[in-house]
Amino acid sequence: MNEELLRISEDLVKRASVEGFNESAALSINTRRTMLKIANSEPSVIQHWNSLSVITYLAKDRRIIIMEFHPRDESEIYKSMADLLKVAAKVMESPLYAPLPEPIEVKPLEGLVDREVIERLEEPSTLAEVAIEAAHREKIDSVAGTIDLWYREKALSTSSGVSLHEDSTGFQAYLRAFAEPSGSGQWSTCSTRLNSRGVEEAALTAAKYAVESRYREKVEVGKYDVIMSPMVFGNLLELTVRMASAFNVLMGLSMFMGRKPGDKVASDKLRVFDEPRNTELPRATSFDDEGVPTHNKAVIDGGVLKTLLHNSKTASKMGATTTGNAGWISPAPWNITVGRGGYSLDEMIGGVKRGILVTNNWYTRLQNYVEGVFSTVSRDAVFLIENGKVTKSIEKIRMADRLPNILNNIEALGKEAYNIMWWEVTIPSKLPYVLIKDVSVTKPTL
Amino acid sequence: MLRGDVMEDLVLYAVDYARGAGATYAEARYHRNSLRSIVSNNGLILGVGSEVVEGIGIRVVVGGALGFSATNRLERSSIKAAVDRAIAQAKNALRLMKHPVELAESRLGRAKYSVLEAKRFDSLSFEEKAGFHSELWKALSRSIGEAKASALFVEYVESFEEKAVANSDGAFIESRVPRIALFYNLVITHPQKGSIQRWETLGASGGLEWLDKWGLINKLEEDAKTYEKILLTAIEPPKDPIDLVIGSEIVGLMVHESCGHPSEADRILGREAAQAGKSFIKKGMAGENIGNENATVIDDPSIPGSYGFYLYDDEGVPAKPRYLYKEGVINEHLHNRWTAKIYGVESNAAARSMDYKSEPIVRMANTYLKPGNYRLEELIEDVELGVYVKSYMEWNIDDERWSQRYVGLEAYLIERGEIKDFVRNPALEITTGGFYSNIDAVGREVKFYAGTCGKGEPPQGVPVWFGGPDVRLRKVRLGVSVA
Repeated sequence: MNEELLRISEDLVKRASVEGFNESAALSINTRRTMLKIANSEPSVIQHWNSLSVITYLAKDRRIIIMEFHPRDESEIYKSMADLLKVAAKVMESPLYAPLPEPIEVKPLEGLVDREVIERLEEPSTLAEVAIEAAHREKIDSVAGTIDLWYREKALSTSSGVSLHEDSTGFQAYLRAFAEPSGSGQWSTCSTRLNSRGVEEAALTAAKYAVESRYREKVEVGKYDVIMSPMVFGNLLELTVRMASAFNVLMGLSMFMGRKPGDKVASDKLRVFDEPRNTELPRATSFDDEGVPTHNKAVIDGGVLKTLLHNSKTASKMGATTTGNAGWISPAPWNITVGRGGYSLDEMIGGVKRGILVTNNWYTRLQNYVEGVFSTVSRDAVFLIENGKVTKSIEKIRMADRLPNILNNIEALGKEAYNIMWWEVTIPSKLPYVLIKDVSVTKPTL
Repeated sequence: MLRGDVMEDLVLYAVDYARGAGATYAEARYHRNSLRSIVSNNGLILGVGSEVVEGIGIRVVVGGALGFSATNRLERSSIKAAVDRAIAQAKNALRLMKHPVELAESRLGRAKYSVLEAKRFDSLSFEEKAGFHSELWKALSRSIGEAKASALFVEYVESFEEKAVANSDGAFIESRVPRIALFYNLVITHPQKGSIQRWETLGASGGLEWLDKWGLINKLEEDAKTYEKILLTAIEPPKDPIDLVIGSEIVGLMVHESCGHPSEADRILGREAAQAGKSFIKKGMAGENIGNENATVIDDPSIPGSYGFYLYDDEGVPAKPRYLYKEGVINEHLHNRWTAKIYGVESNAAARSMDYKSEPIVRMANTYLKPGNYRLEELIEDVELGVYVKSYMEWNIDDERWSQRYVGLEAYLIERGEIKDFVRNPALEITTGGFYSNIDAVGREVKFYAGTCGKGEPPQGVPVWFGGPDVRLRKVRLGVSVA
């Protein structure tokens, strides 16, 4: 299939040249994916996809066109290409334009494909069985969740001479357990490789939190020291690292607008990395969408912003060099990791006089990206911590604060890191529990 | 787009083959989403986009298990392979099933319909559409005085959604819906006063006639002047309980979030529990009170020109208005044929799918609060001390759809029945019951707003409208906006 995919990409690049475009790149992705959804402790649907998508970058006299097709055949792409050439003549020069990079030798990544993932694409129900059985070892009422497996082949060709292909597998699972009255817990895992034990552990953690969070009590609004689980911190950190995309900075969608590498943006304790070459995490890749070799890099180290994420266009615009994070238009992180601290969760709890442990959240929204003003709602288990001990399960809360405050007020990081990926953490992340001082907690007034 | 007869042949082949291979129910949907977009920053065109997502999605029920399979290879052999896969995987899951999936009997359609653009997309040249972006930037820039227009990101999208749905119970629906949408983000900054940011979406079904209706250049000029005044002059909102007039934009979002979503029967039954969550509404709660007589919320897919428009859902069921809350009572849920079977009712045509890769699930279309009799001036005139919140920035709601929060952008102090100063970032943090039980008066004019509603796994974003009139609540304490 790789040769066939590469042929599709190369043919498109040739065709673009014939049509009259100065530059082009074509990324063909063939995906086989199976997802089993669980609800009320049984499968609700098993979904399978076998699809080819072809994304093409075209440039004519510094004008930029992006085409995305799930084509039934290539003739439709060619026809559209011809139409778009007419359009290109009428577009003004893109302020983002920079030439596609010349080929640079790419060192392939080993270990991106796990045969077991490919085999389980045919039969994912045994993993669902593991999840349901493990969750019900605790006294829960039901479990819901998703088991998601994929095999992805990608082939990139560019008019500057790049011709690359790569295969990878991936897997994510997340489980949410319910225990009456009103208890619930959720956890997730992900990897390039199948990890049945990871599914079991995610189910057990979800079920444990579900049982422990029954019989919720009220809590007062105010400032609390908050321990965020990797699920919660992963959600806020994904937002943060996406804001480090130079495109988002240019578009006014980032709290790093007006900041520059070298600026202090977080607590000394925080180290955040983009790790495309970490083959444990399922967005690992050896090259980006421009064919530039990827490399692992610190985004924030010792609280200092080390780099924005660039493709060749944003780099050219901002006088930087590409970081291998293309996206032809917008650079994006591949996998996010956080440097560990030295505390166990119990030790972290032990150091909190009056605080809250939040195990999961959702619906994070910003009222102002530039200032990082946000709120997010807890879901699942939330616990009050008093004098170094978890004292009660509490009702859902809302955290309403500024992301810069969250980053600056990091007090401690856990020594164990967890692979997290689910609905609200879409970039695979490996990170620990984290303690943050003085987080504003609110709830309804009527 | 495939020729009609080819499309029909493919979906009917998939259904017939699936039935022959052991499916007790089979459904096939040819689905093509095509769009053209123009993206700009500060009036300069960053790029042009063209997208076609086309393929076939197949659902089967086998022995009580549900399988879904999608492919964009549209020859018969690929479709056969996709059907075989859906059937095999459903069979594999059977041993874990406790409650077989069954579908309610429904009156299904055999129909073709098409939404026509009053003004076709090709009636404006590309240069004119690109020029519109720079006009928007000029409008924003010239409207700002002391502050600075720092960013205006605009995405203009014209699209077509074309489908052919067939199922083994006899439905056959062909449809074509054009849509137009504008997404924009503006940032206004001031060295001492900070910044203000506004995301807005305009969307509808139809063609370029909507650009005339929206009058965005004038709107942006007016809005920019207002936002600058807010940035420079807004005062803190009152801390004590006050009367609150909530503008239609927020009312629309509130009914979408706190009535539409919790009324989705699949959510109530726990099918989305690990993703979008559950609902404070439990099975059997229809008939219970949720608010006062002013709380009537309707979801209607058939509103002409609406962003969420359709006449038949993706299971072939004819669309109609759904009265979700009626005069303060939980009245009717949103159903597909699976939830309808469990509830012992008929489906009310809420099954929608984003594209060929997506299974049809229970969704809203166009959700709004029923209007009352008040003009805005009448809502305000007897308010001694209050706040009128017209638009919002940030919002969220918990996963059972009970505790919600909206932070206002354009908001005014009301004193002795008159609109006065701007107030800064008033935060309304309220429960669903608190909102619907305290609506004291309802405006007479419904306005609709466009959005992309997210649900499902993989996530499906579908176009919706939400709307309503302005409403008044008495004695509400505004919450904390930000530390």
